[in-house]
Amino acid sequence: MPSASPRPEADAPAWRGTLLHIHIAPAASYEMEELTEARLVAGRGIEGDRYFLGKGTYSNLPAVREVTLIESEVLEALARNDPPLQSAPVELAPHEHRRNLTVRGVPLGHLVGRRFRVGETVLRGARINFPCKYLEQLLDRPLYLPLYNRAGLNCAIETGGVIRPGDAIEAL
Amino acid sequence: MSARLILKLEVVQADELGAGVRRLVLKHPRRPLLPSPEPGSHVDVHLGDGRVRQYSLCGDPADASCYSLAVKLEPQGRGGSRWVHEHLRPGAIAHVSAPRNHFRLAPQATRHVLVAAGIGVTPLLAMARHLLRAGAPVEMHYGAPGPEAAPFLPELEALLGERLQVWWSRAPSGRGRFDAEHVLARRDEGTHVYVCGPPGLLASVRAATASWASGRVHAESFVPLAPAGPAGPFELEIRSTGQRLSVPAERSALSVLREAGLIVASACEIGVCGACERPVAAGTVLHRDVVLDEAGRARAMMTCVSRGQGRVVLDL
Repeated sequence: MPSASPRPEADAPAWRGTLLHIHIAPAASYEMEELTEARLVAGRGIEGDRYFLGKGTYSNLPAVREVTLIESEVLEALARNDPPLQSAPVELAPHEHRRNLTVRGVPLGHLVGRRFRVGETVLRGARINFPCKYLEQLLDRPLYLPLYNRAGLNCAIETGGVIRPGDAIEAL
Repeated sequence: MSARLILKLEVVQADELGAGVRRLVLKHPRRPLLPSPEPGSHVDVHLGDGRVRQYSLCGDPADASCYSLAVKLEPQGRGGSRWVHEHLRPGAIAHVSAPRNHFRLAPQATRHVLVAAGIGVTPLLAMARHLLRAGAPVEMHYGAPGPEAAPFLPELEALLGERLQVWWSRAPSGRGRFDAEHVLARRDEGTHVYVCGPPGLLASVRAATASWASGRVHAESFVPLAPAGPAGPFELEIRSTGQRLSVPAERSALSVLREAGLIVASACEIGVCGACERPVAAGTVLHRDVVLDEAGRARAMMTCVSRGQGRVVLDL
């Protein structure tokens, strides 16, 4: 019998996730547009997106925001009001949350400071996105509290390339 | 003031309504529904060169499948209407914000009096549709030089019938210029008046209702107010940091805040849209916007046009 591992993370189940949707917006406040493929440019962002173009709400701040991800599981939790922070469930569609990539089966909280692959590209997790009143105002919906600690992951692009919905996402 | 989502909408219809007025019907190219408007709402239209203009929605507020707006060509204006008339033709893509409403119907009103002049009719047309559907008591007064300068007259006649009173100032058939004193002589408690038109119309309604309880006259004006006296320098203090900023006479608080790295959203920059509202903790503000009501003026300022006396502390 093997002895118990001294490193708990070695026992963590392996995961393999999927890219569901790609969205970009041409400038701050513009409605997000869905893409069937996108080109990621290392050190910059997604071609055509507001942060690639330097036209995002937070473009003048130093935080890394080349590409942003959110878990579809979070959107599902909001839709069933879990945890019950609001008087009613909150619908937040993939074109509304203003993150670039909607992913499934990817534990974004584990990826802060880590490298991972999305299709042929390599991203590095920066910080967990902080929910903003701006999104709440934009959509006229309570979102600040429900998204607390799960508003997605801001990432840097280490290796660029073309990604498409359906691409696999794996830790490196 | 809240941020608004900007949508790229397709012009699906454009009709010339006479007197230089073009009605545009906008739809989303991929989605069946748009953010829901309220009666009285307006949208920001982002012109191609970075300028933004506000236009009231004149369609049925219960129909979220499209937005209708009407733009009168103002050859002597600041150029927004000229841009719209040149560029927004069927098939064009218009960059349009989700609706905002600074011109709300009062839910407590027992009788609504709508007063419009010329192109000012647009938000009141949406209100009339809503009030009629709700079965609320409503009457409308519509002033113009003559019927040819009164957009949407056939729609209003069909909607309102005898509840529409027209005032033609230059046509022989009319009863002359709108008589605010006469129309608003009856002042039962529940009557609320909604006015949209040139500053002179608003002034006549204000004068006729001077003795009314406050909060019963509602106005929408997309013409900036004339500056209230000469602009002087003043000082801004940021409450959270104690930072002090000098605003010289020739600059706006908005531009000084931006230069200091404090991000302030803005759109019209003439005090009519409400985007650059910031909370005020202390000090005397010289309000020059047309957005804030009395309650709003007690707690905030529009940094694009309003100024201060001495020092104004912003609650930032």
